[in-house]
Amino acid sequence: MAKHRGRGFATIEYPTGMNQNGDPSQAWIKLKPDGRVDVFSGTVDIGQGSKTVHTQIVADTLGVPYDWVTMDNTNTDSSAVCTGTFASRGTFIGGNAVRLAAERVRERILDIASKELEIDPSDLEIADGEVLAKGSPQKKIGVADVAGAATYNYGELISGSSTALKPFADVDDATGQVEIEPHSAISYAACVADVEVDDETGEVTVLKMVQVYDVGRAINPLLVEGQIEGGAIMGLGLGLLENSYPYYPSVDHRGGEFGAYLGPAFADLPELDNVIIENPSADGPFGAKAIGEMANNAQPPAIANAIHDAVGVWVTEMPATPDRVLAALKAKAEPRRDGKRVIFDEQLSVRTVSSNGGEGYWGVEP
Amino acid sequence: MRLTVNGIESEISSPPLTPLLHVLRDELDVTSPKAGCQQGGCGTCTVLVDGEPRRSCLTPVAAVDGASITTLEGVGEPERLSPVQAAFYEKYAAQCGFCTPGMIMAATALIDRKGGPVERDEVLEALGGHYCRCTGYVKIVDAVMAASRGEVGDVQDLPVSEAGEPSVEVHGSPA
Ligand code: FES
Ligand code: FES
Repeated sequence: MAKHRGRGFATIEYPTGMNQNGDPSQAWIKLKPDGRVDVFSGTVDIGQGSKTVHTQIVADTLGVPYDWVTMDNTNTDSSAVCTGTFASRGTFIGGNAVRLAAERVRERILDIASKELEIDPSDLEIADGEVLAKGSPQKKIGVADVAGAATYNYGELISGSSTALKPFADVDDATGQVEIEPHSAISYAACVADVEVDDETGEVTVLKMVQVYDVGRAINPLLVEGQIEGGAIMGLGLGLLENSYPYYPSVDHRGGEFGAYLGPAFADLPELDNVIIENPSADGPFGAKAIGEMANNAQPPAIANAIHDAVGVWVTEMPATPDRVLAALKAKAEPRRDGKRVIFDEQLSVRTVSSNGGEGYWGVEP
Repeated sequence: MRLTVNGIESEISSPPLTPLLHVLRDELDVTSPKAGCQQGGCGTCTVLVDGEPRRSCLTPVAAVDGASITTLEGVGEPERLSPVQAAFYEKYAAQCGFCTPGMIMAATALIDRKGGPVERDEVLEALGGHYCRCTGYVKIVDAVMAASRGEVGDVQDLPVSEAGEPSVEVHGSPA
C-alpha cells in the first residue's frame, strides 16, 4: 500500500463570445462639458472585472485617463441592453459595444477639435486627454476644452452609441436549416496536473496545476489571472469532489443541503502556476478573446490522466472520488474471466489489429 | 440584552435565541455579515465577538449578551481601508464579494493574534472553514500574508491619472 505520483495534461479549445441571433450588448457614451466620460452599458460585473476592463477599453479607445471614465452599468433605469454576463461574452461582446461607441465619440471629439485647431481630423490624435496634431504636438487642445466648446459654442452633446450584434442568420426555406456560428472566437488552453494517489484509501490529492490560457489579449492581466485561478480550483472540484447536475433545477438534480455538497476549500489548494498566451482575435476588442467559462474545463481530464499515470487505471466518471478510484484499482487487480487473469487495458488495446490496415479481412467486427 | 456593535451600544429587542446574524442584519441594519449557508459551513457570517471570530449564524444573541461585536463596517471605511481590506483590494482577492466579509474578519483576527508576519499554513488553517467559489483562494492567501507583513501601499492613493483632473475652464462657458 503506497502513495503514487502521476502527471497528466489536457488541452481544450473553447468557443467564446457567444452572439447568436438577436442577443445584443449595447453601450451609450456621452461627454460631460469638462471632458469626463459617462458610459451607460448593460454588462453586469459579477466580480470578474468587466467594469474595469470596459473602463480600460473606453479610456484607451478615446485616449483619456482611466479615472475620467465613469461606468454606469447596472442601472436598470438607464443602462443600455445587454443580453447578459454569460457564455464568455462580457469582454468580447460587451467590450466591443463600448469600444464601438467610444470610437464614435472619438470621431466627434476629433471633428470639433479640428474646427478649433483648423487642422484636418485625420491629422489629429488623442493621447492622455489631449488632442494633438500628428507630428507637431505643440498644436493641441484638451479634450475638456473640446467638450466645453461642443456644449457651449457648437450646441452639441458629444455622444456615441453602439450595439454589438451579429447579423441574423438566413433560414434556408427548402430545408428549414440555419447556418450560424454561435461563437465569435476560439480560445485555447491547457492544464498540466500533478497528483498523488493513495492506493489504500483511493484518495487523490492535486499537488500542482499549471494553466496555460490563450486569451487573445490580456486587457487586464491581474483580472485574467483571477479568472484562471478561480476556474482552476473549480475544475479541481469537478475532477475530485463535485457532482455536476446537468438537469438542475429538476428535483433529482438539485443536490442536497449546503454541507452535503463538497467543493474545494483552502485545504485543497495546490501549487498553481499560470501562463497567459496572447494570440489576438481579429474581432475582439484590442484582440481580446475570453477567459470566462473555459477556465474550469481542462482540469478534470488532466486529473483523470494524472491518476492513470500514477496508478494505471482510468476513472471514467467524474468526480474521481475515493470509491471510484478504489473500484478501478480493484477491477485492474482482479482477473476478468473465470478465475483466469485476462487483462484488457484500453491504453494497450485501443487499436484492433488486422492484416488489412485496420479492416477486418473476414468481416469480423472487433 | 445589550450589544456594542462597532463601538455603538444598543438595546436588543429580538428574542434571545435569535441568531446574532439576524440581530445584526435585521434589527441593527448592519448588513456586512452575509447569510450564506446558515448552518456553520461557509464562514461568510463571521464577526468578531470580543475580538474572536465567531459564526454569527450559529450564535444565539443571548449567548453574547453584553459583548463587543466587530463587523466589516467597524474595520475600515471606504476612504480609510484597514491593511487587510487594502491588501484584498490591491491583490484582487475579492470577486463577487460574498465570502469577503467573513474572510476579512477571520484574517483580521489572525493577524491581530499573531502580531507579525503570518505564514501560508497559518492562513490555510485560520481561514480553512471559509468557502469561496470565485477566487480559487490563491489571491486571498496572498492578500492576508501581504497584510500581515505590512506590504500594502497607502490606500488613500487610489489610482490617479498623470494627466490629473480635467480642467473645468471651457471656451464660451457662461461661468
Ligand atoms: S452563514 Fe454562517 S457559516 Fe454560513
Ligand atoms: S469572491 Fe465570490 S465567493 Fe469569494
